[in-house]
Amino acid sequence: MAAGQHNEPSPETFAALYELIGTFNKTGAALAPETRFAEDLNFDSLIVMEFVASVEDKFDISMPLNILPDILTIGDFGVALEKLLSER
Amino acid sequence: MADIFDRFAGLMAQRDALFGDGGRDPFSVTMTEVLSQTEAMIDGHRTILVGTNNYLGLTFAPEALAAAHAALDAGGTGTTGSRVANGTYSGHTELEQALREFYNTKHAMVFSTGFLANAGILSTLMGPDDFILMDADCHASIYDGVRASAAQIIRFKHNDAADLDKRLARLADKPGNKLIVVEGIYSMLGDMAPMKEIAAVKRKHANTYLLSDEAHSLGVLGKYGRGLPEQEGVEEDVDFIVGTFSKSVGTVGGFCVSNHPQFNILRLVCRAYVFTASLPPAVVAAAKVNLGLIHNGGALRTRLMRNARHLHTGLSELGLKIASGVSPVVAVVAPDPQVAATFWRGLLDAGVYVNLALPPATPFGYSLLRASLCAVHTEEQLDEVIAIFAGVATSLGLIEPHRKRLAAG
Ligand SMILES: Cc1ncc(COP(=O)(O)O)c(C=O)c1O
Repeated sequence: MAAGQHNEPSPETFAALYELIGTFNKTGAALAPETRFAEDLNFDSLIVMEFVASVEDKFDISMPLNILPDILTIGDFGVALEKLLSER
Repeated sequence: MADIFDRFAGLMAQRDALFGDGGRDPFSVTMTEVLSQTEAMIDGHRTILVGTNNYLGLTFAPEALAAAHAALDAGGTGTTGSRVANGTYSGHTELEQALREFYNTKHAMVFSTGFLANAGILSTLMGPDDFILMDADCHASIYDGVRASAAQIIRFKHNDAADLDKRLARLADKPGNKLIVVEGIYSMLGDMAPMKEIAAVKRKHANTYLLSDEAHSLGVLGKYGRGLPEQEGVEEDVDFIVGTFSKSVGTVGGFCVSNHPQFNILRLVCRAYVFTASLPPAVVAAAKVNLGLIHNGGALRTRLMRNARHLHTGLSELGLKIASGVSPVVAVVAPDPQVAATFWRGLLDAGVYVNLALPPATPFGYSLLRASLCAVHTEEQLDEVIAIFAGVATSLGLIEPHRKRLAAG
């Protein structure tokens, strides 16, 4: 997802994501907008599935699998999440 | 400069760590002679086959062999064409008629494999405004199919009808159609979908359809072998059944059956149907005969389930962990991929073939020795399999030697 195309996710969005990611973060890597799910956090497909489900439950939304390939970082995720929330 | 295969480096390292010592590996097992449905020569050794998905043992049914021989002589070795070109012979339309009668549906479409049936139907059926809700443990062909679909893809927790219900409720305001995708028996662990509850959830939500992949339950479940929907009495709720001829039907090929009045339009739009050659006549003839044997196969199903119970009980009494309840798939859970690979090799060296299944292809990241039963396994064969499992597991320190004696005595 190219930078500058979307508004920066809000601090509240990041705070919520950091909290949810915390329960799956076994690497202890620092959480920041540029932290990458696969490389920095070691998220495999099973963890991604559980993490996405936790976001869906927290915000009561559906996150289709189709959007996942474009998401590399927590910042990307925040952008996608706010887009879904705005479409609700 | 990067090599074109560099991106597989991690996988190659994993493979070499498990099998790089030159011993036997699952990628090069060759059956040099098939002795029967349950035994083959592998590397010169007589081996009991407990991992072939040949649930009813119909690969050598005399009636099917005779029909296949006759069709081969009459129609040749192949059709050299797609179903919509020169590849539909009367055998193909007769097989579709046999499927309609078997399932009591209005429509049936035969594909060249079950993989292509899933990939073809799932990539085509739903449009950009639609939603596919799939069980997270679905087969690779379902994943490939939905990935190529324009629809929005949502996974629900494996075998969790309440989770599915919650996800459908979230989509209630969206105008598109919804398709639920499940399997009757899941291939890796042999566990069954809660089909009654899933059907009830489907009925609760508007514009919602249900597709079940009955690959491992066709011929295995139900009084007449129609799979889990028949056994659970919810066939009316299942809008599409996908299946394969490569397991209980004992040959190769795939199909989809449905009562939807417009179903046949899929013959024009499913690329996996239009752009691949049709099944050869001998295969088509064998599949048709074996469907009839499956319909009347109550005795075979009874023997299959008796064998499943025997192996499940025998292996769990050894102290091994089995991934699910009694089912024609008995998946033994090993502590990690390395132990699983050594275990697998030990079994093969001692004359038992099972499937080795490793993460990420497995649920829960399990490392599995996956056995599947056949109706024509004898009790003696299964006792030998259990004894060999006991020996290898003991030598790996996975079970206590005395448990074996306790179980046997
Ligand atoms: C659940 C499931 N669906 C579909 C298939 C594909 O069947 P086929 O061997 O006909 O391609 C398989 C078998 O591998 C399977 O296990």
